[in-house]
Amino acid sequence: MSIPLGHYLILSGILFAIGLCGALTRKNAIIVLIAIEVMFNAGILNLIAFWHYKQFAVLTAQMFAIFAISIAAAESAVGLALVIAIYRHYRSVDVEEMKSLKG
Amino acid sequence: MNAAFWIISAITLVGAVLAVTLRNLVHCVLSLILFFLGLAAHYFLLRADFIAAVQILIYVGAVAVLILFTIMLTRNVTGTEGPREVLGGKWWAGAFIAAVLAVLLCWAVRGDKIAAALSAGDKAKSSVVEIGKILIADWIVPFEAMAVLLTAALIGAVVIALEEIRRRP
Repeated sequence: MSIPLGHYLILSGILFAIGLCGALTRKNAIIVLIAIEVMFNAGILNLIAFWHYKQFAVLTAQMFAIFAISIAAAESAVGLALVIAIYRHYRSVDVEEMKSLKG
Repeated sequence: MNAAFWIISAITLVGAVLAVTLRNLVHCVLSLILFFLGLAAHYFLLRADFIAAVQILIYVGAVAVLILFTIMLTRNVTGTEGPREVLGGKWWAGAFIAAVLAVLLCWAVRGDKIAAALSAGDKAKSSVVEIGKILIADWIVPFEAMAVLLTAALIGAVVIALEEIRRRP
């Protein structure tokens, strides 16, 4: 008896919800970026699970996963550079203090 | 196979929960590494061994170290403050939205006939040779675009993180 696909989908959904909860509730910008990484990885787990269960000979899902991982790496590099720049400007990484654009 | 899934899932979930709830930022990154390693084990279990290796190399090797460097370059990270300093103003709204999303996703997956009809594939195979061939044959344009994107992201990150140039004389 092997694991059905639904288990992987539910695991991925729960991981995504955990990441969303972290991104919406925490005040530290670095933790928000960490939570976004968690959400990214939950999505990539979905790709690989579907690839495994469809028994596809083609590797399209793996290509998508590779490109998604690359984009996530670029995104986190730019995001962390932004955090450093914001810290230099505000002397804080608290997302609630970044309200210069608030009307 | 079954037991491996449950054990690795438990490790992954614990890592994810700790990564977004702990106070100390360094502990958060260590939990995040646990989460990444759990996902890599899942990929090994799903026979996507190249993706698992990439996951360990890029996430554990690059992204986690990058986050640690950012924590070093910013201050006040020790996490001795209370919950009021950790959680945002309307944190209960965010937690409620995340809980609703989790319930909706589980409900949607449980009622899905297509996902239930698929069974585990023993035919699912992937070799690094095949991935390399398909990457420079069918996927060459996205591959080159990704190279340009990574270069742009590298230069952009350096420019953004540079010191602000003082325009005043």
